[in-house]
This record gives sequence, C-alpha cells and structure tokens, in this order.
Amino acid sequence: MSRAALLPPVLLGLVVLLLAQMVGLGLSALLGLPVPGVVIGIVLLVVLGLLRPTRAVLRVAEPAATPLLAHLQLLFVPPGVGILLELDSLAQKALPIALAVGGSFVVTLLVAGTMLQALLRRQDRRRARGRAADGRGPDGGSGEPGGPDAPQPGGAAA
Amino acid sequence: MSTLIHLPVFGLALTLSAYLLSLWLYQRTGRPGLLSPVLVTVVIVAGVLQLTGLPYAEYLEQVTVLTLLLGPATVALALPLLRNGRALASSAPAVLATLVVGGALSVALTVAVLTGFGVGDDLLRAALPRSVTSPVGLSIAELLGASVPLAVVLTLISGVLGAVVGPALLTLVRVRDERARGFAVGLTSHGIGTSRVLAESTVSGGWSSAAMVMNALVMTTVLPIVAALVTG
Repeated sequence: MSRAALLPPVLLGLVVLLLAQMVGLGLSALLGLPVPGVVIGIVLLVVLGLLRPTRAVLRVAEPAATPLLAHLQLLFVPPGVGILLELDSLAQKALPIALAVGGSFVVTLLVAGTMLQALLRRQDRRRARGRAADGRGPDGGSGEPGGPDAPQPGGAAA
Repeated sequence: MSTLIHLPVFGLALTLSAYLLSLWLYQRTGRPGLLSPVLVTVVIVAGVLQLTGLPYAEYLEQVTVLTLLLGPATVALALPLLRNGRALASSAPAVLATLVVGGALSVALTVAVLTGFGVGDDLLRAALPRSVTSPVGLSIAELLGASVPLAVVLTLISGVLGAVVGPALLTLVRVRDERARGFAVGLTSHGIGTSRVLAESTVSGGWSSAAMVMNALVMTTVLPIVAALVTG
C-alpha cells in the first residue's frame, strides 16, 4: 500500500479503468456475449466494489474516474459532429423523430417520476410506522398512494 | 489555412477550445439547459468543419485520443452506482419497478411512433438507445448495426430535453421528492440531465446517475432482443 502511494494517482486510476475495460472487452469477444465489453467492465467494477477484499480497487480508480466523469460530455463531441453526415435523413424524418424522441421522453419522465414518488412515499410511511411501534392509527392503510395530487401525464409534448 | 487544418493536432485543439468556450458561455449565462456545453461544442466544431472543408473522417482521426478515453470513462460509471448503492438497495422494490415500467414505456413508445410513421429500420435502430447514457448507447448502436452519429445525436437531444424542460415538467405534476425527481431525469436524460439535477440537490444527482447506469445495464440486454423483433 505505502509503495503504491508513491505512484501518480491519476495514472494508476486510469490503468485500473483500462484493465477493467480490457477484461470486459476480452470476455465479450471470447465468449461471444451479445453485451458490449464496456458494460461488462462496469459490472466487473461494481462487483469488485461490493466485495470486501477488493473494495480498495475503487479507491484507486477514483482519481481518474472523477475527472473523466466530470467531462464525460466532451468525449461525445466527435461522434456528435458526425451528425453532419446525417443531416439530410434527419431533416426528411424530422416529424416522426421529434414525436418519438419528445413523446417517449415526456411520458417516461412523468410516469417514472410520479410512480417512484408514490412508491417511495408508501415505503417511507411504512417504515415510519414500523419504527414508531405504538398503535397510533395509520391514515392511508395500504390503498393507492399519492393519488390525489398526481394528474394524468402527457399532453405537454413540445 | 489548408495546411493548418490538416495538422494532426488541429482537431484536438479545435475541440478542446470549443469546449472551453462553451463551458465559459454556459457558466456566464447562468447554466441554461439549452446551452448545454456538449451541444454548443458540437455546433461550433461542425460549423468549423463545414467552413474549412475538413472531411469528417479526417477530423475523427485527429481526435482519436478523445474516442479512446470514452472506454475507461464509461467503465468509471460503476462509481456513482456504488456510491448510491445503499440508498438504492434499501428502496430496491420501488426502484426496480420504476426502472422496468419506465424502460418498457420508453422503448414501446419509440417503436410505436416510428413504425407508425413507417420510417426505415435504420432510423428505428438508431433511435432505440436514445435514453441510454451515450457511451453505452454508442456501444449498443454499434451492436445493433445502427448509425452511430445518428444514435449519439438523438441521445444528446434527449439529454438536452431533460435538462431544459425535465425539472419544470416534474414540478408541474407535483413530483417534489428529490429522489424521484433525480431518478426520472436520469432514466430519460442520462448524463446531461444528471448534471442539471445535480445543481438542484446532491440527492437528486446521486439518484439520477444511479438511474442512468441501471437503465444502461438493462437496455444493453433488452434492446438487441427488441431490435431483432421489430426490424426485418
């Protein structure tokens, strides 16, 4: 440990990330998995971070991971600029694209937001009741949570 | 000029200066979602390529460094997931149910609208990874044989939509819970949305990045199956 501390932390972290990516890519290619190698790399790091003996790996990766994630969007500029080649096909199908992207965005956002809020409220209420184990009457029972103040989503697509 | 643009360092110098300029503009104008730095940078760089006539393929070659860093940066997404692991695990049923319903809705609506309009399979394949965080979405697009630039741009549009109107829409339907707000934005608008809600609260930001990574993991396994089912 003390010897590792002398190495440049950002480079050390980068090597950890690169190794995880390489193992992921290698596994994906070797086993012919229909999953991108980088995703296997993510899963690998998550598993390493969950297991006690390998948890330190995450701390080593951190100095490289933090700046990379902070400027993740910079890395999408090169593929994004490739849109120049697709402008024609985009313009031709502007309406269906706008509806598909905008519509599914709005509906998913609102449904996911209201649903999770309702579920979390119910969970919090249950836990609060469990903690305060006196017999004070619960108000909602197990009926539909978060009902009244959740109007139907949709319509607001722009 | 023509010797300048063909220098191997031109692309990187251009991209980095455009990015810094966009960041500065973003901060000076009070961080409006519409001026999301990645969007502005793409517009500037694309404009310069158009003006100078530098071919896209050559530009890509000049910025190989950035493309290479995308891999380790994607793997680094494991960290925000782990950081929020405890809060998520304690609400696992609620989180998983939302993830499944949200993901299914998003895919079903995209497929329904695009097949309804009868657009080609190419566009459909590029639109599928739309709500997945770009690095993973990009790998999925490659896996599906879709146009990667188109997929990336549709993803960027989703992200910008989420940053611009996401929080306001959620407030409109009275979603006030910071966790739910973050999760919904992360699910639909990945990294760009995450950076927006992170400005609201760190709880929202944490839940947003966790939603983004979990969505990416689920979509990686689901989308190839969907694509095989809905395209010829």
